[in-house]
Amino acid sequence: MSASSLHTLLHRPDVWRANDTATDACPTVSTGHPALDAELPGGGWPVGDMSEVLTDCCGHGEVSLLLPMLAQASQADGWVVWVAPPWYPNVSTLAAAGLRTHRMLVIQAGSAGERVWALRHALNSRACSAVTGWLDRVDTALLRRLQLAVREAALPLLLFRPASDAHIASPAALRLQVSVAAEGEVRIDILKRRGRPANRPVHLGTRPGIPVRRADIVRRRPALALVG
Amino acid sequence: MLWLALVFPEWPLQARFRAQAHTQPLAVAAKQRVVALDATALAQGVRPGQRLADALALAPDLLISPRESQVEDAALKDAAGCALHFTPHVALATDGLLLEIAGSIRLFGGLDGLLRALRSALAAAGFHALSACAPTPRAARWLALGTPGRTIRGRGALPAALAALPLDVTEAGEARLATLREAGLRSVGDAMKLPRDALALRDAQALRRLIDQALGQTADPRTFFSPPPEIDSRLELPVPRHDADVLLFAASRLFNSACTQLAAAHAGIAECLLELQHEHEAPTRLELRTGTPTHDARLLASLTREHLARIALPEAVTALRLRAPDWIEQPGRSRDLFGTQAPSPQDRQEARDVLVERLRARLGRDAVYSLSASGDHRPERAQQRGEPGRAQPAAGKPQRPLWLLPEPELLAERDGQPWRNGPLHCLGRAERIEAGWWDDAGDNDHPAEALRDYYIAVGPRQERLWIYREHRAPHRWYLQGLFA
Repeated sequence: MSASSLHTLLHRPDVWRANDTATDACPTVSTGHPALDAELPGGGWPVGDMSEVLTDCCGHGEVSLLLPMLAQASQADGWVVWVAPPWYPNVSTLAAAGLRTHRMLVIQAGSAGERVWALRHALNSRACSAVTGWLDRVDTALLRRLQLAVREAALPLLLFRPASDAHIASPAALRLQVSVAAEGEVRIDILKRRGRPANRPVHLGTRPGIPVRRADIVRRRPALALVG
Repeated sequence: MLWLALVFPEWPLQARFRAQAHTQPLAVAAKQRVVALDATALAQGVRPGQRLADALALAPDLLISPRESQVEDAALKDAAGCALHFTPHVALATDGLLLEIAGSIRLFGGLDGLLRALRSALAAAGFHALSACAPTPRAARWLALGTPGRTIRGRGALPAALAALPLDVTEAGEARLATLREAGLRSVGDAMKLPRDALALRDAQALRRLIDQALGQTADPRTFFSPPPEIDSRLELPVPRHDADVLLFAASRLFNSACTQLAAAHAGIAECLLELQHEHEAPTRLELRTGTPTHDARLLASLTREHLARIALPEAVTALRLRAPDWIEQPGRSRDLFGTQAPSPQDRQEARDVLVERLRARLGRDAVYSLSASGDHRPERAQQRGEPGRAQPAAGKPQRPLWLLPEPELLAERDGQPWRNGPLHCLGRAERIEAGWWDDAGDNDHPAEALRDYYIAVGPRQERLWIYREHRAPHRWYLQGLFA
């Protein structure tokens, strides 16, 4: 059997390779961090599925993880929705990261039920290009509804949840736990992903206080710039 | 010419309650006599024309409402507004409508298609009608009253069709018809056979003229209804109700009729007012805003649902009133050559506005906003909440935190170091911001003028903070934002 016919055989859709993460069927959008992309099935945030970022961090780069994707999404003609962010997003920082801030829609909502309601409506409206939300004390039934909504909407949905929820089962397709490793580094543990389970964390360097140039964003360097 | 006559049975009752589901028998009365009643009351033995005392003896839980002619007029205009969707020629009759439909039949795929569509539009607005078609308006109405469902296309068949009808359908006046009945006349055909002189003897020339009009031998001019460009329609609930489902159902009747009228006028509304009227309290007013002009009844209903979920009604609702004074012209858009197309920029704009308004209906107006940049250098004033879609884009500033606190937070100080769950170490050089000297002084704790040295600081858990030190005494430290 020649090498090329083996190659064709391995790429048949009905052949499953045990060490494979990428399922070509699920569409993704790049995270903007190649080191992280390499570990994610399909090479990015899943589109039409939920991703969770579990973290107790504040001030370590947990939101910056999303910014390349949000910046990309803000180029399209739709809202970039932030449901219940913990503080005010700073528009000049976001603009520096390439986000078109006039496309942002901030929604304040109190209870988990209202937050999920707002997220579902944003997803169903066909008026959004990216949806992000902060949730705590949310039960699985609400998450299942969100999952249905995001499937219909075919958008990436990113949820921030407290690290203490890591042991609770979730319908999300991708779960990342973000914690602080050493100084200037965040550690990303992939708790759940499609395909083979991940066994080693991804480390991304953060570069606090170093000006982020537009050119850097475009080049997508491996380090996670702590923008702003 | 082809005329379609619609007759609304039990009109005084329909006009008022628009066929809502209810359990008690209902009747409308005038001058102490029953003039209209529903099926439940009929089953219990109540009859039109009965005295109220007799009716109450038969049906003790009969709900009686007085007849109000303004209510009936307004409802008839609502129904006419719906009918305008099907033909521009709509004339009002006391308890029905006359539509000239010759020009519209093809558009709706034949007479059956038109009737089906008209019936469902009327049903959605809460009206139920009997109908018949004939080449003259009067013949159509007589047929609708006598043999509903009939269609006579040519004038040749008219005399035979009309002859079989009872004399009552001519609506020539009870006193006049009574004399004819005494003379042994039973049907329209009997009256047609009599010589004109004989009718004149019995003071029935008027009836002869009506018959001539029905047969198309005398002119029968009609004035067509031209609706005012506004909506003000009202609907009563048979029994005061609290439950959102019932209210929503009643409201959707109003929305459906309003939206059919809007669609017929190629118009839309961006806002309207739904009043929930109570017996004692002032009406509860729901302001429904859609952002972009629309004539989508389902959208209005879903906004109402959000409002109803949020508010508490002070009392049960007795009636609903919908007002939409400002109509906005919406020129139609032709369909694409290749069928469905990608949403146009206008559609996307509409979807964005609808999302904002829907979220606001449930969460409150202030809970949904965009952030708008302003030129001020003081971080707490550099951005403000803006109306979604009208926010100023920001210029990028690196080295700024992603999160801003709503108010700068005063930090503790230990050994000359700022402290927040541990010592904070400043990185790099300070960035000085001096601004706001042109503003009023403010108070001592929060001077409007900013003289500050900003630092990026590292906290005990390696978190990055944006803190500043007042340049003036007592040189306090504040937390302004967090990098994330």
